[in-house]
Amino acid sequence: MDTLNLAEFEAEPSPKGRASARAGTRDSTKSRLLGRALLVPVLVFFAILNVIPTFWMIGLGFYDYTLGRGDPKFVGLDNFVIIYESAEQWATFTRTLFFMVVAVAFEVGLGVVLGFLFWGSAKMPGRRLALTLLFTPMVVAPVASGLFWKLMYEPTFGVINYVVDLFGGQKIDFLTDVDWVTPAVLAVDIWMWTPFMILMTLAALGSVPTAELEAADVDRLSFYQRVRHVIWPHGKFILMLGILLRTIDAFKTTDLVLTMTGGGPGNKTEFLGVALYRQAFNSFDLGRSSAVALVLLIIAIALTSIYLYVLNLSRSR
Amino acid sequence: MKDINKTGTNETIAKGPRLSRRGVLTGGLGLGAAGLLASCGDDDSSSGGGDALKGSDETNMKGKSVAMGFAVIAGWPPSQLAIELFPDFATYAKEKFGYDVTVTKTEAPFAELYQKIAPSLASKAQDFNLMVVDSQWLGALSEPGWIVKADDVYKVNPDLDIEVYSSLVKNTYQVYPDGSGVRWGFPQMPDTQGIFMRLDMLEDPAEQAAFEAKYGKKLPTTYEEFAPMTMVEYEEIFEFFTRPDEEFYGTALQYAKEYDFFSCAYHPYAYATGDIWNPETGEVIGVLNTDEHAKALEYFVGLQKYQPPGAEAFGIGQMIDLFNNEQVFSAMQWLAVGLFMQGNEGALEGKVIACPHPRFTFADGSVDVIGAMGGQPWVINSYNDDDHMRVSIDFLKWWYTDETQAKFIAKGGLPWSKKGVEAAGFEESSVYARAFKEMLGEGKSRDFWHLPEYAELLAIQQEAYNGFAAGQYTDAKKVLDFIAVKQQELLLSKGRTKVAIPDDLKGITL
Amino acid sequence: MVSTRQTTSGRRIGYYTALWAVALIFFLPVLWIMMAAFKSNDDILSVPPKLAFSPTLDNVSRVLEESSTIPYFINSAWLALGSVVVAILVSLPAAYAFSRWKFPFTNFLMFLLLSTRMVPATAAVVPMFQMFNAFGLRGRFGMFILYTSFSIPFSVWILKGFIDGVSERFDETAIVNGAGRVHVMLKVVLPQVKPGIIAAFIFNLIFAWNEYIFNFVLGDPNTQNIPFGMSVNLLSAGGNVDWGFVAALSSMYLVLPMMMIFFFQRYLLVGMTFGTVRGDV
Repeated sequence: MDTLNLAEFEAEPSPKGRASARAGTRDSTKSRLLGRALLVPVLVFFAILNVIPTFWMIGLGFYDYTLGRGDPKFVGLDNFVIIYESAEQWATFTRTLFFMVVAVAFEVGLGVVLGFLFWGSAKMPGRRLALTLLFTPMVVAPVASGLFWKLMYEPTFGVINYVVDLFGGQKIDFLTDVDWVTPAVLAVDIWMWTPFMILMTLAALGSVPTAELEAADVDRLSFYQRVRHVIWPHGKFILMLGILLRTIDAFKTTDLVLTMTGGGPGNKTEFLGVALYRQAFNSFDLGRSSAVALVLLIIAIALTSIYLYVLNLSRSR
Repeated sequence: MKDINKTGTNETIAKGPRLSRRGVLTGGLGLGAAGLLASCGDDDSSSGGGDALKGSDETNMKGKSVAMGFAVIAGWPPSQLAIELFPDFATYAKEKFGYDVTVTKTEAPFAELYQKIAPSLASKAQDFNLMVVDSQWLGALSEPGWIVKADDVYKVNPDLDIEVYSSLVKNTYQVYPDGSGVRWGFPQMPDTQGIFMRLDMLEDPAEQAAFEAKYGKKLPTTYEEFAPMTMVEYEEIFEFFTRPDEEFYGTALQYAKEYDFFSCAYHPYAYATGDIWNPETGEVIGVLNTDEHAKALEYFVGLQKYQPPGAEAFGIGQMIDLFNNEQVFSAMQWLAVGLFMQGNEGALEGKVIACPHPRFTFADGSVDVIGAMGGQPWVINSYNDDDHMRVSIDFLKWWYTDETQAKFIAKGGLPWSKKGVEAAGFEESSVYARAFKEMLGEGKSRDFWHLPEYAELLAIQQEAYNGFAAGQYTDAKKVLDFIAVKQQELLLSKGRTKVAIPDDLKGITL
Repeated sequence: MVSTRQTTSGRRIGYYTALWAVALIFFLPVLWIMMAAFKSNDDILSVPPKLAFSPTLDNVSRVLEESSTIPYFINSAWLALGSVVVAILVSLPAAYAFSRWKFPFTNFLMFLLLSTRMVPATAAVVPMFQMFNAFGLRGRFGMFILYTSFSIPFSVWILKGFIDGVSERFDETAIVNGAGRVHVMLKVVLPQVKPGIIAAFIFNLIFAWNEYIFNFVLGDPNTQNIPFGMSVNLLSAGGNVDWGFVAALSSMYLVLPMMMIFFFQRYLLVGMTFGTVRGDV
């Protein structure tokens, strides 16, 4: 029932209220009505700004419609067939998948290592400031970071190419070279989101009961044994949640790439979000874009389900 | 500046939705909703109230105060000048008609500006009463009835119908469909292509001697010497000034994927070879993807060897940066930004020469100049209420007065009327004026597609061309095949052509 | 003994230095932006990069003088603040109801709420765009309810998690003593879930503060915020980017989010994980 209860992760101990689940069911219809009434505002928002547009999108996915070019024309499954048969669409999909996997792998790897490093820094002088600096990349407006990384990558004025030059390397056109552009964009994503995985690792480590760690100390367990038998059983779910959230976000990457490369050179960095944006708002082909958006929605729902599945596992552990 | 809230916007919110909101609730599911979208999208393409198109008279606007919304192109000085000069208009309007007027600008770079104004116009909003738009958008804006037909305005204001310098002005900024003679836009800023070079380097005796020693000919230094030169002849000069050890290069051209940057820079090479499509039949296949075009494309991309690294991302801005930071000898650039090609803080003032676009040898062996047209027209929102319509017309009337045009040109604008271009002393008014006039001559430049499908057609080729420039694709012919097929497929699906895709090219990928 | 302590403290210093180094490496690009804010444009583009430069306030004053910056800042602020406040006001009763009444449809609704935030912005903006056009919603009101609706799922999740952690015995005791449900929610439960409210507040605020795509596509001249301005409005004469201006603007804009992380570090984790994971860092 209350699969979403995460009292386990409470920092402060809280009394478990499950025994008294009667509260809601105990009394009258009046109470039940009140309960539902409390939901109304949220449901109204949800209906207006989520349900209606979603149905609209589903509907329009079956039409040929471009803004300002006459009435929508019903075309059945044509849009979906075109998407399915489009080599470009599949290439975009593969490209996004590749980006997602590499970005998440690096972020998790680095994040876990650095998270372990920061574990036990509780008494570090200026810790709060250090962590603020560390976490700042996550909260810079993506438009701003996109712009500045573009400048830093610039072959003539860019500071990164200056460093490359300093170490005797050939200057690289990071964002226009077909071989370099993907790594360059990946690097920015990794810079932005590794701090998030550090955060998650710290949370995972924090969820290990101190008593068990002390016991491990007493038993003089090796680092490997400690990770395997003490930390992993407690921390794995939080880590999994982190990985999943990052996967979903990497799948969504849009504004950063849009400002940095506009999907170029050629179509090298046309990820799903970017390609859809260009399709929808360069040409306003809303029928086709709705169909693509619908496919993305289904993928997003699938990813969300996996996320919740893991969340529930972690609860029932 | 602050809180210029237009009543117009609110009215639209109150007016527009009524029919659709009920429709969605009763229609329920998306299928109903989608159909309904049509009913509020494309009907009623009438343009403004008839009387308002005359503009204000002494009485009908007296004492009112109007907040105008302008859409202009960000970072594009000529279109910013409209905002800069606006206070003069406010004074003029107050004196002449007795109303107060303010303006809010919304600006965005070329591609984004279209993304901004199209949805606003589709929802019949008055966010933008008067807009500076790109010439190629005329089809997309006029077909749904979003903008006022300029002919209707000229009918009641014959004095606005000023004689143009050449048919290029009319065909680029005013007429849609091509050849119909129906006018929609009002010329705002005409623009043509040219090449900016470092005169101080050309005149340096040491450079001249070195050049003569290497190539056995004199380094040209004057407009008269450069104007007849072909691209191939220019190459020697680019090669001569390309000095990678000093991080200095011969030239810079635009290859960026953004908007139309690659296309506009490349099209002259294509025009010299043939056409980019057949406007009569709507065919692209067989017109664009010829072996000659492939050679032209390879040649154009090959010019990167005289350019700084990263040319795949060069656009208008990079031309300015590179030239002003003294990293290139020359830059192929729109003449309209000539005022900004003078070095950082004017360091290169007096050291720059601007010439027409280099010439080409055409298929028939003749040598001539051909460039792409740039520049933008004004268009008027057809959903303006009477007050905003009157002020828009008043503004245009003011804009085209001799005094305003003189101020506009003094601040870096360019003229397009016969009177303005042929005015005494115009050619000497700036370093780029003479080249501009040459390129605006009959047959010297061309504009391309004014179709509503402009954005899609452009996106297809920008992506493929830029991929070719960056080396993602290596076969020029195949790139052209791909573009031709994709563009013709699009034109076919929109009913702009009836010619089917030949079987051997169907399903082509890059 | 003494020597051991010395080595320990020596190692400690090394360890802390390493941690600080890691933090600074991640911060370096941001620091570079902040330095650029005080450089002239020539200094920003100079090769080699200038570490020692004569700082100028020119960029900052240009930002303040540019006629559209202040309105854009104001738009950023009221859109972000207002929508987040309304979202929390709306979410609190819902979270309480979800937590206490345990409707059979709770899980499904919570799942739907969560999934809306997992959809790529570009996919979500397409249907929104059609609806906004048809209903004439572009403008202040439309953007406001849109941002509110973005903040709702997040807030409901965070608050429900926190309210679940408050024992129902509190509710019962109060009800036995004659208090009404609404009273219980506001006077008994609310004070105990303040951390959840803060977390929801901060993270929705940062999101709305930095939001660009929806603002660009669905906004009108009355709602344009700073990220919008950054992407379309910062080009100086002729189309080249005025880097000093952008740097100054970005740095000024970053002050609020950075302060949020500094002062509310405890809530960072809750915020970043949709309220599904809690704990301290």
